[in-house]
Order: sequence, then C-alpha cells, then structure tokens
Amino acid sequence: MTQSISACMTEDHRSCDEKFAQMETFVSQDNWVKAQSKFNTFNQNLEHHFNMEEAVIFPKFETKTGMMGGPTAMMRMEHEQMRNVLGQMQDDLKVKDKNHFFGLSESLMMLMQQHNMKEKQMLYAMVDVHLGEESEIIINEMQGLLTT
Amino acid sequence: MFNQGLSLEQAPPASIPFRFFLTAPLFGILLGLVFFFYPLESIINQYSPVAIAVVHLFTLGMLAMIIFGAMQQMMPVLAGAVIKKPILFGNVVYLSLTFGTLFFSASFLFSNKILLIIGAGLLSLSFLVFFASAIYLLFQVKFLTSTVSAMKFFSICGIITAILGLYLATGYINENLGAQHLNFVNSHATFGLFGFGVILIMGVAFQVIPMFYVALDFPKFIQTKIPLIILMIIVLFALFLFLEIDIYVLKVIVSSMFILFSIYGLNSLNNRRRPVFDVTLWFWKFSLYMFIISMLNWLFIPQDNMFTIAVLFGLGFLYSLLQGMMYKIIPFLSWFHLISQGHISIPTMREMISEDMIKLQFLIFISSVFFFIIAGFLSNTFLYLGALMFIISNILLIFNCANAVRKYKQISKLNPLDTFIKK
Repeated sequence: MTQSISACMTEDHRSCDEKFAQMETFVSQDNWVKAQSKFNTFNQNLEHHFNMEEAVIFPKFETKTGMMGGPTAMMRMEHEQMRNVLGQMQDDLKVKDKNHFFGLSESLMMLMQQHNMKEKQMLYAMVDVHLGEESEIIINEMQGLLTT
Repeated sequence: MFNQGLSLEQAPPASIPFRFFLTAPLFGILLGLVFFFYPLESIINQYSPVAIAVVHLFTLGMLAMIIFGAMQQMMPVLAGAVIKKPILFGNVVYLSLTFGTLFFSASFLFSNKILLIIGAGLLSLSFLVFFASAIYLLFQVKFLTSTVSAMKFFSICGIITAILGLYLATGYINENLGAQHLNFVNSHATFGLFGFGVILIMGVAFQVIPMFYVALDFPKFIQTKIPLIILMIIVLFALFLFLEIDIYVLKVIVSSMFILFSIYGLNSLNNRRRPVFDVTLWFWKFSLYMFIISMLNWLFIPQDNMFTIAVLFGLGFLYSLLQGMMYKIIPFLSWFHLISQGHISIPTMREMISEDMIKLQFLIFISSVFFFIIAGFLSNTFLYLGALMFIISNILLIFNCANAVRKYKQISKLNPLDTFIKK
C-alpha cells in the first residue's frame, strides 16, 4: 500500500528533529567542527523538506483547490522565518557563541514544532483529501528533488 | 475554517495569554496571605468556608486562569480550532474569571451572600463562554489527535464541574445544602481536578514532551486509552458516591493510570535527545514525581484531612507543571510575535527571562511545598513558613514573567525598519 503524503511528510519532520538534536549535542560539547557539519546536514534536510512543499505539494494543492493566498502562503512565510533564524545560527557557529546559539535553537525548535503541528493538523490532512489519489506520483516527485 | 486556522490575525494577540499568566500568581499571593489572617485549623479543614475560599483561589484564580490563557493559544495551533473574536472572547473570559474568583472567595472569607451571588454569576459567565466555544470548536475538528481528544474530554469535564459548582453555590445562597451535599462536593472536585486538570495536562504533555524536548512519544495505549478510561472512571466515581458504593477499586485504577502516565513522562524526559540544559525540565520532573507521590499518599496513607494531598497534588503536581509551561510559552510568544512583526534585533528566548532567576524561583517554590508538607508531621507553625515562601515564589514568578513581557512591549513599540537606519 502506498504511503500517504501526510505520513511521508510527518516522518520527514521527525527526521529533521533528529538532525537538529544531533547538531545541538555537538554544540553543547563545544565540538564546533562536527557541530558545523551537523548544522549543514540539518540545513540541507530542512531545505529539502521546504522544497518538497514549495516546489511540489503547494503548487499542486493550490491548483486543485484554488486556495492561492491562504494556508500555503502562510506556510511559505513561516519557512522564510525559519530560514532567517538558521542564518543567525550559522553566524553564532562562526563566532562560537554557544549561549546565543542555544537561545536561537530553542526559538527555532518551538517555531518548527508549531509549524509542524499546523501542517500535520490541517494542511497535510487537506492534502491527503485532495491529492490522495496522486500520492505515489507526488512522493516520487518529491524524492526526486533529492538528487537534483 | 482552514484559512482562518493558519492566519496570524486569527491567533490571539500576545497580550491575551499574558494577562491570564500574570494574574495567576497574584491569586497565589492572595492565597498565601490567607494563612496570616485566618486560623490555620480553618484552612486545613477542607469543608470550612475559609478552606473553600482557599481552594477556589487556587483552582479558579491559578489553575483555571493559566489553563484558559494557554488554551486560547493552544487550540488554534494544536487543534486548528480558531476562536472568531479572540480579543472580545479573551476579555470576557478574563474579566469574569478574575472578578468572579475574587467575589466568590471573598464571600466565603467574609460570609457575605451578595458577594457569592455576584461571584457565582460571573464565574458561570466565564465558564459558559469558554466551554461553549471550546466544545463548539473542538467537536468540529476532523483530524483527531490524542491531544484533541483529551481537549474534548477536558471541555466536557469542565462544563460538568461548572454546573455542579453552580448547583453547590445555589445551595449556599439558599442556605439549603441538602442531604447529598457532600456527594455533590466530591463529584465537583473529582470532575474539576481529574477531568479539568489532569486530562488536559496529559493531552498537552502528549504533544509538548516529544516536541519541545525531542523525546520519546508516549505509547499509543497511554495516548489513546488512558484519557478515556479516566473520563469513564470519573463518571463512575460520581455514580458510586451517590449509590454509596465503596470507591477504593476506582481509586486504585485511576491512581495506576496516573502513575503509569507519570512514569512514561519521566522516562521520556530522562531519555530526551536534546542535550541542552533546560530549567523548565526541573518543573516538569518535580511535577511528575509529586504526581506519583500524591497518588501513593492518597491510596495508602489514611488522611486526617486533605491538606497534605492537596499540597502534593495541587501545588507539587499541577502548579509546578503549569509554571514550567508558562516559562516556555511566555518567552516563545514574546519572541515569535516580535519576529512576526518584522523585528530582527531581538533577545532570544533564553534572554527573555534570566535562567538564574527561574532557578531561584523554583527553589523558593519547592521550599514552600516542603514546608507545607512537613507542617503535617511537625507543627502547624511551618504553614506560616510555607505560606511566606509561596508568596515570595509567586512575586518572583510575576517578576520573571513580567520581565519578558516588558522586553516584548518595549521592542514591539519600535519600528522594525529602524534597524536598517544608520544613526
């Protein structure tokens, strides 16, 4: 049986959370080299997740439902907020400012979780309803983004 | 519905939950002050008018105040349930709850029936507005998570608690308590504390612990079955009381459920994957340990009065957990609303409230719990010390939370674009 889009995306949220925790572990140990490496991995994963939504799910959802400026626009805006915080965290890694880094990582964590909840609670549920029949094609298309 | 769920304009302004959170410790201070103006024996005897006032300063002024404030923020995010006019709704619930609690408690402290009529009326308004909206919104949610289910049960228990409370208040107003008065009191307390208090906390914990601490999920059985079992037991509890059937079996089942929940919660927190020290964990862990101890105490230790268990359960479990949540929610909302307004140069969440001050407040708070408990074994004099520490801890809680709110207000007054203007 094909995995639903919401299950696939929720799994990816969890995977991002894991990378996030690993990145924090290295910062807490003052292992800045590995912290930077994990930050890069986390950043790539998160960016890939955003891409799956912005390049595949959102346009298809918007076309199917005609909802152009509502939920997807809000999600895109929150993606931008998270990208901004990530940029500031990168600055902290460069100057090895642990306290400020954790202040930001805490904020990012809360932001991500609140965002994930909204997606899981509403957007993905709606996506499953409207795009459920195309889920296999959509998941393949999203996974294809990995190699591009 | 869906568009509204994701619109920032539909989320309540930060000032709404903040006013609920900052008011709760004020009631804590009032509660502490009662110990210095009324005979200790009257506070310890749970059926005395002074004890009724003290209990409601806590359950309405602190517990309901924080829960109502937090729910207005959590319902849109965790359940997609958006309140249509958040400012009006927040103001009505806040003002009627605040003044209702003041009048209601004052009526028992000063033996004044007029105050009781006004207080009961205002509280009815507050609970009716809150729960009518919550039930209406939550029962429309299509995508059910364990948290949404728990919120539904919480709402049902909340409205039943309020109806029973109104019935009891009417008895006091008419000076006709009836033969079943104590059964009504105990049913009211069970629906309130276990249904309104514990079920909601469980539902929130199912989401918050794995999310904010990157920790293990609670097992599916705990998430899906335990809140439902608790709801059924609460109903049976009331039924057994009125039918005069021994409730000990129900006590054993419900305590086991609570202890199981606490053990999984502690296990999840102890094995969390976020390595960062987080002072709010102190509140969570202390709370869950106190929950276990309070249940063991309730099951196995014969009680002369309910004071010790009330302290263990009410302050040790409920209030510590709610304080831990406030220390997470207030800095996050301050930060989040500022960043959403476009401000760039803002304090991080950790810079909103000094961690050392939170630690100090926590230590003073747990010392108050400690003194309240040892008073039962040593001397009632320790109640004064406990009350003093409790007052101080609430003053510090206000100070800490107000500090974050002050920073938020200062920055939100500025124009975000000023950051880019070189002076």
